[in-house]
Amino acid sequence: MALGTDRYASRTDTLLFLGCVALSLAAMSLPPALRDPVAAALRQTVLAPFLRLQQESELLRTSQSRFEQVISQRDSAALAATFLPELRNENTRLRALLGLGQRLVTGYTPAEVLHQAAPTDPLTLDVSAGRRQGVHPLSAVVCPEGLVGVVFAVDAQTSVVITWAHPEFRASAMAADGSVFGIVAPHGTEGPGVWLLELRGVPYLQAVPIGTVILTSGLGGVFPRGIPLGTVIGVAGETEGWERTYLVRPAVQPAGVTHVMILGFARTGADVQGGFPPVRGGETP
Amino acid sequence: VRRGDKYRFWVILAFLVALQFSVRSRLGDERIAPDFLLLALLIYTIRSQPGRSAAAGFVVGLLRDALTPASFGAGALAHTLVGYLSAWGKAVFFAENLFVNGCLFFAGTWFRNLVVALASGKLKGGQLGWELLVWSPLQSLTTAVSGVAVLWLFGRWLSIRLSES
Repeated sequence: MALGTDRYASRTDTLLFLGCVALSLAAMSLPPALRDPVAAALRQTVLAPFLRLQQESELLRTSQSRFEQVISQRDSAALAATFLPELRNENTRLRALLGLGQRLVTGYTPAEVLHQAAPTDPLTLDVSAGRRQGVHPLSAVVCPEGLVGVVFAVDAQTSVVITWAHPEFRASAMAADGSVFGIVAPHGTEGPGVWLLELRGVPYLQAVPIGTVILTSGLGGVFPRGIPLGTVIGVAGETEGWERTYLVRPAVQPAGVTHVMILGFARTGADVQGGFPPVRGGETP
Repeated sequence: VRRGDKYRFWVILAFLVALQFSVRSRLGDERIAPDFLLLALLIYTIRSQPGRSAAAGFVVGLLRDALTPASFGAGALAHTLVGYLSAWGKAVFFAENLFVNGCLFFAGTWFRNLVVALASGKLKGGQLGWELLVWSPLQSLTTAVSGVAVLWLFGRWLSIRLSES
C-alpha cells in the first residue's frame, strides 16, 4: 500500500477492502446456477420494499399519464360533440346541394364559402372557385334554399360574391305566380330589419299578400328566372297612390352558408324554378 | 458527531435511497438521470473510514447487481472501489469544499461506470466509447449537481463542514 494508505487507512480498513474486492470477484465468477438464486433472494427480501416503492411510483406516473390522456380524450369528445349538430346540418345542406345540382343538370360550379372573421362577412363572401373553375363575374350564386348573391370579382382560384345583404345588391323579382314584379334590394343597414330584403316598385293597386314567395324574374339578364329570394312578411312603406314597398324575409342567411353553386352563363336567362324545392308561403324555406 | 446529527445523517441517506426508487425514473433519460444511490454512498464515504466505506460499497453494489444479474459482481466491485477510494482520497487530498465535493461526486460516478462497463464485459467498441465519453459524463454531472445541492441544503445535518474557499 502507498504511504497515504498507511497514514489514512488502518490495517482493518485495508483488509476489509481486500475482502470486499475478493467477494466481488467471487460474485463475478459465480456460475448462473448459483448467481441467479442469490440475486433472486436479494430481490425478494432486502430489495422488495424498494422495488415496491419503485413500482408504486411508476404506477403513479402511469396513472397521471393515463389521467391526462383521459382528460384529453374527454375534451376531444366534448369538442366533437359541440360540432356534431353543425356537421349534421352541413351534411344535410350538402345533400340538398347535390339534389339541386342534379336538377339544374349542367352549368354550375360548386364552391365552398371561405368565411372570414370580419363583421362585414355576410355582405361579401369569398368562395373557393375562380377563373380556373370557369367562374365569371355577375354569375348568380345559389344554395338549395335560394339566391345567395352574385359574383363580384373573380381571381384565379377564388371569387368574391356580394350577397343580397350588400347595399349595392339589386335583383329583378316577381311573385311566384308571376302576378307582381319589382326590384328586390336590402332593406337597410339600421334598425331591426337590417337583415331583411324589400320588394320595391310594386304598383299601389297590386297588393301582395303576406307569405307570397318572391323569386327572381330573369329580367335584366343577370339572374335566371325562378331562384327563390324570400317571402313577403309585411309592408315596409308606400308612396300613396303610386307604389308600395314590401318587406321580404330572405330565403338564405349568408352567414350560415357553407357551400354554394355558381351558375354558368349558359344558365343565365333560363328558368331554374323547377330546380329549387317548392317554398310554401309564410314559412322559412 | 452529536446523536441528533447522526439520525439526521441517516434520514438524509434514506431520503436519497427513496429518491432513487421513486423520483429518478421521472427525471428524464435513464442514462443521464442522477444516481441517488451512489450519491448516498459517496456522502457516506465522506464521513466514514475507508474500510467501512468499501464494505458499504460492496453491499450497495451487490444489491444493484441483484437488479441487473447480467453483470453480477461487477457492480459490487465497482462500488467497493469507489467507496474505498473516495473515503481514502477524501482523507488524503480533499478539502471540505462544496466544489471539491462536487468533483468527488462527478469522478466517483464516472469511475463507477467505467469499472462496471469494463468488469462486466458487456460493452465493447463504440458502445463503450459512447457510454464512457457521453452518457457517463452526463450522469456524473447530474449526480454531482444533485450532490452539491444536498450538501448545500443539508451540509450541517450531515456534519460536513464546508469552507468558504
